[in-house]
Amino acid sequence: MAVQPSEAAPPAGGRPAQLSPGKRFLVTVSGLWAWLFLALMILFFVVTVPVFSSATFVTVRNSQNILVAIVPIVLLGLGQTFVIISAGIDLSVGWVMSLGSVLSALAIRDSYNMGAPIWLAVILGLLAGALGGAAVGIINGTIIAKLKVPAFIVTLGTSFIVRGMALLMSENTTVIGLPDIRAYGNESLLYYVRGAGGGFYFLQRPQLATDQLRQLDRILPWPVVVTAVVVAIVMFILHRTQFGRHTYAIGGNLEAARRAGIPVDRRIIAIYALSAATAGIAGFLSTLQYTAGSAVIGDSLLLSSIAAVIIGGVSLFGGAGTIMGTVIGSLIIAVLTTGLVMLNVQAFWQFIVVGTVVIVAVLIDQSRDLIVGRNERGSET
Amino acid sequence: MSDPVLSIRKLTKRFGGLTAVNAVSWDVYPGEVVALLGDNGAGKSTLIKCVSGVYQPSEGEIFFAGKQVHFSKPIDSRSAGIETIYQDLALANNLDVPANIFLGREVKHRYLGGLIRTLDERTMRSESQTALDALEIHFPTLTQPIESLSGGMRQAVAIARAVYWKARLMIMDEPTNNLGVPEQQKVLDLIRRLRDSGVPVILITHTLPDVFAVSDRLMVMHRGRKVTEKRTSDTNTEELVGYMVGVRDDTRAA
Amino acid sequence: MKKSALFAAAALAAMALAGSAHAQGKLKIGFLPGVVDPFYQVMQLGVEKAAKDLGIDVVTQIPPTWGVEAETPLLNAMIARGDLNYIITAPVDKDQMVAPLQAAVDAGIKIITVDTFLGDGDYASGPVKFPLSYIGSDNEEGGRISANGLAKAIGDKGTVYINSTNPNVSSVEAREVGFKDEMAKHHPNIKVLGPDYNLDDPNKAQQQTAAVIEQNPDLAGVFGTNVFSAQGAGAAVVNAGLGGKVQVVAYDATKAAIESLNKGDVSLVLAQKPFDMGYLAVEFAQADAAGVTSLPKRVETGFAIIDKTNVTDPNFSRFIYQAPGQ
Repeated sequence: MAVQPSEAAPPAGGRPAQLSPGKRFLVTVSGLWAWLFLALMILFFVVTVPVFSSATFVTVRNSQNILVAIVPIVLLGLGQTFVIISAGIDLSVGWVMSLGSVLSALAIRDSYNMGAPIWLAVILGLLAGALGGAAVGIINGTIIAKLKVPAFIVTLGTSFIVRGMALLMSENTTVIGLPDIRAYGNESLLYYVRGAGGGFYFLQRPQLATDQLRQLDRILPWPVVVTAVVVAIVMFILHRTQFGRHTYAIGGNLEAARRAGIPVDRRIIAIYALSAATAGIAGFLSTLQYTAGSAVIGDSLLLSSIAAVIIGGVSLFGGAGTIMGTVIGSLIIAVLTTGLVMLNVQAFWQFIVVGTVVIVAVLIDQSRDLIVGRNERGSET
Repeated sequence: MSDPVLSIRKLTKRFGGLTAVNAVSWDVYPGEVVALLGDNGAGKSTLIKCVSGVYQPSEGEIFFAGKQVHFSKPIDSRSAGIETIYQDLALANNLDVPANIFLGREVKHRYLGGLIRTLDERTMRSESQTALDALEIHFPTLTQPIESLSGGMRQAVAIARAVYWKARLMIMDEPTNNLGVPEQQKVLDLIRRLRDSGVPVILITHTLPDVFAVSDRLMVMHRGRKVTEKRTSDTNTEELVGYMVGVRDDTRAA
Repeated sequence: MKKSALFAAAALAAMALAGSAHAQGKLKIGFLPGVVDPFYQVMQLGVEKAAKDLGIDVVTQIPPTWGVEAETPLLNAMIARGDLNYIITAPVDKDQMVAPLQAAVDAGIKIITVDTFLGDGDYASGPVKFPLSYIGSDNEEGGRISANGLAKAIGDKGTVYINSTNPNVSSVEAREVGFKDEMAKHHPNIKVLGPDYNLDDPNKAQQQTAAVIEQNPDLAGVFGTNVFSAQGAGAAVVNAGLGGKVQVVAYDATKAAIESLNKGDVSLVLAQKPFDMGYLAVEFAQADAAGVTSLPKRVETGFAIIDKTNVTDPNFSRFIYQAPGQ
């Protein structure tokens, strides 16, 4: 006796078949809306910027500026994406980044003073930032998983503690006295010299007279390269490994995950450790960029990272979302900021626009559920 | 009659001063569907949770496949081959069918001597397809999140999961609740199919028509005690209601 | 000494102007102050007036919060415009902003720092040499003036407290140093508490000061080292009912500070001259573009010291930070 689900109920994967072509189009569009919005925004600036300044929007230099600007937002957003997919939230990432900045600056300065060559000091700085962050994440995850305190409260609490520790370790001021690591923060993988006699240079910064320096564009500065590598690794973990699959399961149905034998506590601890580690790496990169460690640097970035994640389509209820979405969300924020400045619009407008985009993003996601869900409910008679 | 798959001897479970299960003894044999009946508060769920390892019995013994067992957590009973399908199905709605069937037991490719392990989605998909085909469950596509499936189809996924992992005893808690009539029939068909393949099914239910439709034997509990155990064909609705409300009690005869 | 430097600078600029009014295309400069506050708003007025007088285009961006992560993206976007010749800026951290501003110089933009400096402020022989000039107050002197003013107001003995804004910012750092030095050298009977850092948040300044007042019931005086510090610290004193009893010296002559002065809650207000800083900076850019090579690397713009006796005197009241018509 064959069991045909199609006898009395709609076919399982036949959801698209249930929707009218018009509705199907809407669902597809709403899934891609972030990409569309990004493209439209870039187009808008390409057209308007030359009108208000003598600049062009899409230039090599500008594109690199944008990439550099999204480094902290993307890194904080990566961890946040993981955490939110697991139906949690990490409010400590901003200040963990500050702690990472301070720890890595101290590591670089002290190891160099003890005789380490600069490249080794920089690596130690990276480790200090990442591991320091991971330690905070482990504490977060343990309290959330074992003591069952809501993530919102735990990460809020640890964020204050982390903040205090960062200020303590930096003795309430910027950590300076580092060796000259500007090259690590500002040099790049590729160079391009504009104009006659120019061309691409790989890894070796061309020796140029001061005048010619103006023609030099740095393509893919090291912080951007590091970020790209981290993004690729985290994407791999989320979409191709069992750990990533379990993250989705925990966010979708915690009880089901537990009963399926998933070591939920261990996973949660790992998720928060990952989130805080990427925040620590973001702090390390900022230390490279500014040649100093700062306990106040992550203050404004927490909300930007959450905005990037939401714009990228991650549901705040957990169980859904992609890393690519967060990258697009971060790009939208960075393109917006840069474009508005080039239009000589006051900086605070970016807050208003970003906030509006976030609300629009949530509305679009909810309406998509509505279009699909209404059909589903209709069939369950 | 062959040896019982599950044997419970004088199982008792107390919560403080409340005795939820009171000295219940019961056997379940291979290849049969046994209904577990009782009104709310009768102790059916508690009894089953003692069997599946959610609770530990206060007194009494459990034997599974001939050996005495002590399950300290649910995973232990699952490893032994007892699959429980709860009312909430314990499925992740945001994941697709193969992901749910292999939840917690994912198949992986191993690279670099096991250093890097990625999900083997292709194997999981084909294995799931085979399992569903064996149960004659047809989904047009396996890659949509199961939240878009109806309740009955999600039940089918939960059952397919239990079957795939070679359950030796299946426990189902109110499987036809919240289902439309045609879907209820499909689920009952699946239960029969399971029984026919030799897997015993314990069916916890309130729905008397289901009992008569699919079960071979039944056991009724009332206020924590077993009040009767019979072949389904030897009884009728009125009698069963009598047992469930406490008017009838075979253990206190005369 | 400082006044003559000022005159010399102005003279040089005027010379350059006279000699080169038509010798170049229209200059375009960027103005990037530290944050939104009355001090920088008046500076902006100075920049805009100079730009109008000299026929220069100005592009202004003001960071909404004080911090390198707020200032740097705006700086980078300004650089990316590709059409700026000079950027007049107040670097928000004397070490962290070195790399980003060096990048601007590499891109062909010259930098003039106003109000705060990079490195140690000595662009001739210090560790940082690429900015054209530093135009700002002699903040150490301002600290000393504040110390002496506060000492006089409290009878040269007692406990005083410094509430400040951000660490590693050249301007407020110098004020703290000047204040503490002067107290140590010339007012040995005065004990100095602090500084606490309110990170440019007047609410924090108020909380911190209130806590100090609680712990030190015999506190005699408070020194708020900038706009928001003075605002918050002053509010804490008033809220504790100690207005007029605990003496407050406020750096930066906002209208709120002047109101407090009139009410007797603040005894001394140090007005810097942000308008002059802004105006002079633009003149310097003009002069440099015209080929002047002898611009001074450091110009100090002086103070107006305002107290109850001269607050109505227009020679002093014109230095209060307000837009025309306010």
